[in-house]
Amino acid sequence: MSPGWFQFSAEDFSYAFISVLLEGVPFILLGTLVAGVIDQFLPSKTMVRFLPRNAFLGICLSAAMGLFFPMCECGVVPVIRRLIAKGLPVSNAVAYMLAAPIVNPIVAVSTYAAFRGQAAAEFTFLRLGLGFFVAVVAAFAVHNLTVGKVLRREVIESATLQPDAGGVAIRPFGRRLVGALESGVRDFLDVMVYFVLGVGVASVFSTAVNQEIIIPLALNEWTAVGSMMVLAGILSLCSTSDAFIAATFTAFPGTAKLAFLVFGPMMDLKLLFIYSAVFRKLFVAGLAVGLFVFIGLICVRLGVLGI
Amino acid sequence: MSAIASRVLSAGVLLVWAAVLLYFELSGRVANYLHPAFHFWTFSSAVVLAAMAAALLLTRPSDSDAPPIRWPARLFGTGVLVIPLLLATWISPSQFGATAVWNRGFVQDVGDLAAYQPPMDPPLPREDGSIGEGEPMNPSLYLPRNEKGQLQAEAIDLLYAAKEPTLRPDFENKEVEIIGQFLPARTGNADGDRFNLVRMFVLCCAADARPLAVTVKAAPGTSFPEMEWIKVTGRATFPVESGRHTPLVIADHIEPTEPPPETFLY
Repeated sequence: MSPGWFQFSAEDFSYAFISVLLEGVPFILLGTLVAGVIDQFLPSKTMVRFLPRNAFLGICLSAAMGLFFPMCECGVVPVIRRLIAKGLPVSNAVAYMLAAPIVNPIVAVSTYAAFRGQAAAEFTFLRLGLGFFVAVVAAFAVHNLTVGKVLRREVIESATLQPDAGGVAIRPFGRRLVGALESGVRDFLDVMVYFVLGVGVASVFSTAVNQEIIIPLALNEWTAVGSMMVLAGILSLCSTSDAFIAATFTAFPGTAKLAFLVFGPMMDLKLLFIYSAVFRKLFVAGLAVGLFVFIGLICVRLGVLGI
Repeated sequence: MSAIASRVLSAGVLLVWAAVLLYFELSGRVANYLHPAFHFWTFSSAVVLAAMAAALLLTRPSDSDAPPIRWPARLFGTGVLVIPLLLATWISPSQFGATAVWNRGFVQDVGDLAAYQPPMDPPLPREDGSIGEGEPMNPSLYLPRNEKGQLQAEAIDLLYAAKEPTLRPDFENKEVEIIGQFLPARTGNADGDRFNLVRMFVLCCAADARPLAVTVKAAPGTSFPEMEWIKVTGRATFPVESGRHTPLVIADHIEPTEPPPETFLY
């Protein structure tokens, strides 16, 4: 008797569901607290003043900021929401949002550790390099879109409602602290709604779908890369630990694992929901398809080149 | 009035989350869900969430430019944040059942396990604590024994021993006691005398758990409820099956037992 491809158990679902919630809440809380402080204490347009005037350099700098301000993919969304409200160009925010969960020292160390004995240094370099490159290209695509096509109406309104720098500075410190709390709570509750929905969907797939069905897909470069990206999307792992999972897929070629490690932190089931707190649904769908195709093509090409 | 109600509702949701996190931490259930490295952060989050809720209730609104409250969406969001959390906390049995384990597939080759590395690097210390240059340490110093003198092995020990010729003599043909969860063998069991003894290996949380399985040979028809915790005592062997050494415990005695204090292996 072999199990079918889908068997659901409410107990298994709730167990996986709770475990991811317990693991993820601290990171989202940290992100929303930082976002609250940004909201009340960072004067509007400050970010713009420090960014290079050249759009390309600005996007590259934003994509590299994770090296100094590492954030996981769950925590980064409330932060960029506040940064956008403070005047950070959307393309720069997208560059940081996509790159920071990959291009950061914690992920570099965990990837290196997970791939010990499997060309760890090269793999780590490839992961961070490809993550940076994809984030920059995606941000450039966003640079050419109007804000109305990218952001939700509420986010645009919150950005236009922001008082100028002087307005923020004249409020007493205590009141700004309360404002930071209120802002942090709002962001936490908003993002958590999407996080809970995303974790729910991911938990169904990670407990109810027979994962052995993907093994035959490893035999072909195209299906191997595609299926590993689909798997990354379904499992919705944290970028700090996903390398340990990817490294165990010994049947799959290295480029498929690379696709898993670059696509997953940028787009997965829970992120589909979390991104929807900031971006329009059509944009999120386009971003998901674009990242899937772009990362997939690059990784297949790397495979053809023998990397 | 509307703003105050919204503030109280927000504080209520934060308090529910704080209470649930605190409950998992104080009841010890958190150990069945998360790697120990995350426990502190879960507890800290509970404290911070409770503090935020208290601050919301005890402070005057900041007059910040908050977006207008959309009550239908607000109530829907509150339901999403509270109901699934409480339901799952109530339903969750604090361990995976057989369905999830079958769907994930067994790890029976330790080389397939995350962060696997050969065990001989760095050199093991001598009995007096000094560094032995490549000499293996006496196994009796690091392998605990029960009152009958049997080695208290974990599933991962036997998987490593199957993979590593240098470790195999520590266990091969030795009497061992091993605890795990029962699952029947669906393949390679023509005589009906084998079953799987399963332990979950975790990196961060239960969602990434992978089932490690050691095969046990016992009297034909031996059976327990799926995923029941059992203690097996018997002889550890490592026959070559499907082209590689696999751990096989020839059981002398099997009995139901309580789950170990740490149900996960790390």
